[in-house]
Amino acid sequence: MSKMTKQEKKNRKRVKPGRLARREAITGLLFISPWIVGACIFLAYPLITSFWYALNNIRITPMGKSFTFVGHGNFTQIIMSDPDFPTQMIDYITSTILSVPIIVVFALIIAMMLNENIKGKGFFRLIFFLPVIIVSGPILGMLTQQGAGSITAIDTQAISGAIESFLPHALAEPISELFENMITILWYSGVQILIFLSALQKIDRSMYEAAKIDGGSGWECFWKITLPTVKPMILLNCVYTVVFISNNDQNAIIELIKGAMFSGTREKGYGYASAMAWMYSVVVVLIVCIFAVLLLARKDVYERQIRKYKKQVRKEKRLAKKIGRRSARNAKKIQKARQKRGYKTYDGSGDY
Amino acid sequence: MKKKLVASMLVLTMVASLAAGCGKDGGQGGGSTATSVSGETEEVTVEGSDITYHKATDLTTDDIELTYFHFDQDETVQYLADRFMEIYPNIKVTVKYENVSTYDDTLLTLVNNQETPDVVMFSDADFALSNAILTDISGFYDTDPETKELASTINECKIGCYGTDARYAVPVKFFPGVMYVDLNVLKTLNIEAPSRNWTWAEMIQLIKDATVLDSPDGQAYYGVGVYNRLDSYYGIAAAQTIQGEFGFDGTDFDLSIWAVGEQEFADLATGGYRAPATETQEMEDWAGDWEAWSGATGHVALFTEAFWTYQGTWATEAFQQYDLDIVPYVVPAVSEEDASADHHSIATIDFGGVTTACKYPREAYELLKFMSFGVDGWNTRIEMYNDTSIVNASGLPLKNDVMPAPITTNEEVWSAYIDMYCDGMDETHKGYWEEYFASCMQPIPYGWTSIAGYWNYCDEYFNKIGIHTLVDSGEKKAADFADEATTKANYYHAKAMLEYFGPDSLYNVLTEEQTQLYEQMLEENSN
Repeated sequence: MSKMTKQEKKNRKRVKPGRLARREAITGLLFISPWIVGACIFLAYPLITSFWYALNNIRITPMGKSFTFVGHGNFTQIIMSDPDFPTQMIDYITSTILSVPIIVVFALIIAMMLNENIKGKGFFRLIFFLPVIIVSGPILGMLTQQGAGSITAIDTQAISGAIESFLPHALAEPISELFENMITILWYSGVQILIFLSALQKIDRSMYEAAKIDGGSGWECFWKITLPTVKPMILLNCVYTVVFISNNDQNAIIELIKGAMFSGTREKGYGYASAMAWMYSVVVVLIVCIFAVLLLARKDVYERQIRKYKKQVRKEKRLAKKIGRRSARNAKKIQKARQKRGYKTYDGSGDY
Repeated sequence: MKKKLVASMLVLTMVASLAAGCGKDGGQGGGSTATSVSGETEEVTVEGSDITYHKATDLTTDDIELTYFHFDQDETVQYLADRFMEIYPNIKVTVKYENVSTYDDTLLTLVNNQETPDVVMFSDADFALSNAILTDISGFYDTDPETKELASTINECKIGCYGTDARYAVPVKFFPGVMYVDLNVLKTLNIEAPSRNWTWAEMIQLIKDATVLDSPDGQAYYGVGVYNRLDSYYGIAAAQTIQGEFGFDGTDFDLSIWAVGEQEFADLATGGYRAPATETQEMEDWAGDWEAWSGATGHVALFTEAFWTYQGTWATEAFQQYDLDIVPYVVPAVSEEDASADHHSIATIDFGGVTTACKYPREAYELLKFMSFGVDGWNTRIEMYNDTSIVNASGLPLKNDVMPAPITTNEEVWSAYIDMYCDGMDETHKGYWEEYFASCMQPIPYGWTSIAGYWNYCDEYFNKIGIHTLVDSGEKKAADFADEATTKANYYHAKAMLEYFGPDSLYNVLTEEQTQLYEQMLEENSN
């Protein structure tokens, strides 16, 4: 396709859209305007406001808010003089990075089981989704307080002891906590199971049949058919799980931010809490990015082989072109030399 | 066209709902300008009640609305509000209840949304003062004859003034400090009941004497069952000059006093004199039930339970089966001299005030008084407590649901209160209560309700270090912390005084001398 000339571009700009097109554009805008307005009011405005709050010391009084600009003071204070926040943040990062894969893998296994042809499939699906309703709100907190967060049959003390015997304490502690809160972690997987289930149900059964005819085992079918198909959902579920864990009622950092928000201490308050929230948001985004990078970069073996092959073909083509160009150049040189008669062969005849 | 119509309707609906959601109260306009209480009243009665009310005549006659925000017993407050509206038909009172755990958060959200209630209860003074929620009610308080009848320490120690010359709060709910003694346990163990004017040392001795780990009935007896910590009690009981926790004398803290009580309390734990706590292995081993409460075992001599535990638990029918004979003792003073007379003792007091956003402070003050210490309000309460048909959400009469004691010393109120409180008791036990009530009227509230900077100090230093845990476990001695903890407490107090009331603050009520004092205190204790 040839490029447009400047004049053509100029002329194109001058063409006004027709009435119908304009109407459609306005209708479209009207349809998405609730979202735009909502996003502006409930997303952009609070974001900008909270960032402005983070740069100020704020007291909320019945006479109005009093702002004192402190620049990065709130951020500095959180890092330098609030021992709780960095400690909780490290705990949060390690526990999230460790528990997200567990939740996602568990959800995938359960989804695959629920996708099988078993009796009472709907009932089992209901059972696994019920915690999503139960764990919302303060109920989970109450259940955890009652010790319902861990599997009683598992001797968590023994597991913790065993882990600590071969791992450094800093790493052993979050892993031990995983075992102590195993039930809670598994309860977090209800929505992820549904997402995986929807992806699994879209896989064409004939692919499995074809694979079986070619002698593929169940294990191979999983790696070659199931996993590549549900892979986009793994990333989606990872993101969902990170966001869920980060905004959960049980999250200690959320409690810390809320505590700072309503604290009577003059240094704290909305400004300090906003600074904490921003720092926390950045960390959450980074964790999401880590999972995105890990999962987007990983291609399955088949795709990797195809990409490798395509890369090889492209390389060979480039080499062939290069050789072709070089040969053409050499041929031209020889031609010129022949014309000038400056080129001689070893035997002196001038013929190649 | 249809699409456009649908889209337009969507937009309109959304904008309308947004406007409705974000709409603010237009306010009541006007406002009253009264700055004092005239004291002039007219007698009124309301239908269905024998009480003669003293209706203040200096209140507005315009139709106004007041909001009362609280974490009190909701049915009680609603009953009082209804009666207030019957006395003052032109004033509409809207009662808003919030659970104490989310109370501050909700109140601040209301303030942020410019929906500040007119009258509020609070327990954390730092929260209320740092956000300038409370307005100065000195004008009303000082000219109100009823405030002269309040428990003596409220005016003498200027409780509710927070170290200033202005008054910001009045006590709303008063739960005097009490030591409960189970006479049946003493009888079983052949221990003589302590003197009614007992001293701190006698109390400790009783705890030790009543601890019998190898009792003949197979279940150990313990000296004390703990709800409130004894170190808090000791901090007030140590001397009559003390006006607050941690040895606070009105300006400075001295935690060397607290350290004695803290260490003594920790020693009781390590010495095995304290009954096991609920939901511990020790409790299961002792009482055979993980969730058992020491107050129901009949094997504990003394309890540091709250005032409301008696009517709320021990006096209920369900507890008659446990064969307990619980009687109240006043919290003992440390010195014999103090113990022989009425003395300062710790009390749980929740405060209330009129907010800075209130447009009708005179009327709001009258409402606050009716809900807290006012004689008319208390007569109404007693009438309500006597009526056992009025019950809470659990079907329990309101008398059994965290009932406070009157903070007024008005004799009529007290006489009616004791009759109501001791209904069904024999003369001996009524005598115990009468004696106790006559000796508990020099209350000193917990620090977080009455001292500026106290909660911030606990939040950022005392509790963060975990001093109680360290001392209780025997890991550290309380005296090790006394000096540093005193310095920190003084620092936080001085800082709070300057921030809340100093020249650059919203209140700006400190005199030059007071400002200099706190600045110097801040400097001296800043390291």
